[in-house]
Amino acid sequence: MKWIAGCLMLVGLVRIGGLAPPDDPGPQLAVIAKTGPQGEGSAAAKVARDQLAKQGVEVLPQLLVAMDTTNAVAANWYRTVYEEIVARELARDVTKWPVEFFKEYVSDAKRAGRPRRLVLGLLDKLEPAFRAKWLPTRLDDSEFRYEAVGLALSAGDRALQDKDPSSAKAAFRKAFESARDSTQVTQAAAKLKSLGEPAEVAQHLGLVTEWWLVGAFDAPQKTGFAKIFEPEVNVDLQAKYRDQGGTEIVWKRHHETDTLGQLDLNKQLGTTREAVGYAYSEIDVPRAQAAQVRCGADDNCSVWLNGEKVFARDQWLNGTRFDRFIAPIQLKSGRNTLLVKICQGPQHKDPEVPNNWSLQLRLCDEQGRGIAFKPAQMP
Amino acid sequence: MSLTRIRVHLLLVACLAVLPDQIARAENWPGWRGPHRNGVTSDTGVPTTWSATENVLWKMPLPGIGTSNPVVWGDKVFVTASEGRDQGELHVICFDRDTGRERWHQRLWGTAPTLFYGRSGMASPSPVTDGKRLFAFFGTGDVFCFDLDGGLLWQRAIADEYGPFENRFAAASSPLLFEDKLIVQCDHYGASYVLALDQQTGANRWKSDRPEVWLSWSSPQLVPSGDRVELVLCGSEKLDGYDPRTGSRLWTVRGLARECVPTPLFGHGMLFVVSGPNGTHLAIKPGGSGDITDSHVVWKNDRGTSFVPSAILVGERYYLADDKGIGSCLDAHTGKLIWKKRFGDKFTASPVAADGKLFFTNEAGSTLVLDATQAGYEEVARNDIGEEVYASPAISQGKLFLRTAKNLVCVGMKLAPR
Repeated sequence: MKWIAGCLMLVGLVRIGGLAPPDDPGPQLAVIAKTGPQGEGSAAAKVARDQLAKQGVEVLPQLLVAMDTTNAVAANWYRTVYEEIVARELARDVTKWPVEFFKEYVSDAKRAGRPRRLVLGLLDKLEPAFRAKWLPTRLDDSEFRYEAVGLALSAGDRALQDKDPSSAKAAFRKAFESARDSTQVTQAAAKLKSLGEPAEVAQHLGLVTEWWLVGAFDAPQKTGFAKIFEPEVNVDLQAKYRDQGGTEIVWKRHHETDTLGQLDLNKQLGTTREAVGYAYSEIDVPRAQAAQVRCGADDNCSVWLNGEKVFARDQWLNGTRFDRFIAPIQLKSGRNTLLVKICQGPQHKDPEVPNNWSLQLRLCDEQGRGIAFKPAQMP
Repeated sequence: MSLTRIRVHLLLVACLAVLPDQIARAENWPGWRGPHRNGVTSDTGVPTTWSATENVLWKMPLPGIGTSNPVVWGDKVFVTASEGRDQGELHVICFDRDTGRERWHQRLWGTAPTLFYGRSGMASPSPVTDGKRLFAFFGTGDVFCFDLDGGLLWQRAIADEYGPFENRFAAASSPLLFEDKLIVQCDHYGASYVLALDQQTGANRWKSDRPEVWLSWSSPQLVPSGDRVELVLCGSEKLDGYDPRTGSRLWTVRGLARECVPTPLFGHGMLFVVSGPNGTHLAIKPGGSGDITDSHVVWKNDRGTSFVPSAILVGERYYLADDKGIGSCLDAHTGKLIWKKRFGDKFTASPVAADGKLFFTNEAGSTLVLDATQAGYEEVARNDIGEEVYASPAISQGKLFLRTAKNLVCVGMKLAPR
């Protein structure tokens, strides 16, 4: 009987060491995957979760693969298992962690970002030197790009302090090219420009800055959003219209110089309220492509691309916040037209609330990199 | 029966004899603004003086940020927080009431983080418990239900189901419990609605759309009205009364600010509503149907309204500290000003009251204690915790729980060593 006891002890030791094959977690993972809207599947998920949480670190690879899901509810059920196992095993000093799997997983940019970030946090504990070496390489990784760009900016600053402008330029260029966050883009551009290097923020972000503008059309109270004015029917840059006071108005050309392309219609069309203004642009795109229009307006905007309405939101007293609204679009090769209607509502009853009338719009890919386009040559 | 057993029984009877009094003086703080959702508790024995070191029983660091108030049930204290660049990392933590030891800590992902206020992140809504389950709502559009040992029971990713919230400062409405339902107010720039979820399963019991409603951060309130209970929601220049069993709208009162934050109060048969700044205080008789603005408003006062802090009703008086630190006391029956004082510093936290005292905590971490039994302004103490405070305090079982910008602090009388 001693040899049986010996075998059992050995099995126990192996399991403690995390080397034993796991009990197949597939059925439990599948149960959790079925959770969904309306709290559906919760009772079964709770049972499956509790069973999974009893397993050792050997289940983590399959668990992490399951966590790479668009099911937000299932992801959190899986996470409670992950957290419990990791907390328990970290308290031991004999656990054999699947570190190589973790490194592959965290480096796989196609996987969901959040579980990858969890794994990076665990690697900080298991292999503390990993992050410093790995993170600067993640400039094209949507989950870790922000931190990697931040490191590149810091490297540039350090090079400047060391009076090494050449290295500084290289670091800032790398940061600028990789950045998608508007603050980081403007920071990197400013650093490059201070070193005499070119860096076009508007081009990088795909900001539309060349406009034809007309307004203000009369739109009492909040009628402007639904009311159709002539430019919506037919854009004729030679046409003449009547403004709120009956004065003749025409389209006028405008080049926006704000760093992030914010267009102040109060300045360009006159301070007013309960009105509608239009902005029109034509751009040349080198190839047909799927893209996004990202916009924000105060009070609100409607956007037509090549005559088709691609975005509209009936909201009032909004701020113009960068990338506030995102809509998918399909650009065609060659000339594309953009028409934007910007509504201005009544004054807020609190006179201290400013009556802004503004627009910001850009064309970019899913990651936020500006689409390459040129403003069309127009008369 | 042995003599020892008789002694035990006598001791038990003696304990039971004093128990009702003990219970009355040792309430839980089960959700936003306490046991009656109005900031007032019957708890007694709460210290009126403390400092960063005096009468501090324990202090525990908190992760991230948040302005949800601590929730206390029995010997457990629950706090929510969020962190990360987009504040999408959510925390629900349970501390031991007596020692501050962390009993459990759940880390979860928020479905759809929004823009947020730098002090509150996604953790403005206070959790709520019935003593069996803990319900936590976050600005990411998620509702979680746990047992009190931290086991996840269900989650609703309502931002996935009905669309992400569009919010400048992240959703802040604290859910409430009604019968077997959890009621969650979801007002935002997009399609607003109020939900009643089954406490047991998380499934919808009803959903009532609020298409005319914009962004607001106010929390729902329940009020008795004749033989019915009404659910009251502030937002978008009005106050709506609903049937909490069906979600059907009963009545509306116009005249509030466009963006509402404070939670309505109920007392003396009236609802007290404030919205500002430059807004108004209203006292309203609940009940009726349709637009009851002209028929049910008892009084109105346009002075000294707050944007964020809620008011408090103690006895015949209605108290408020506005965001700029101006305190005022109104006659609850008439809305007439009784006194007005500059409390000092700015306020985000809402006041609480216990044992005839009012506690107003400002952003600098100083709590002004007032004697609520006096007709006039009667200052008892000013206590500086030494850290910034944006969350409303909780009072339970003779202790005051202050959530500072970085810590959870338990204030209470230290027992003399035997």
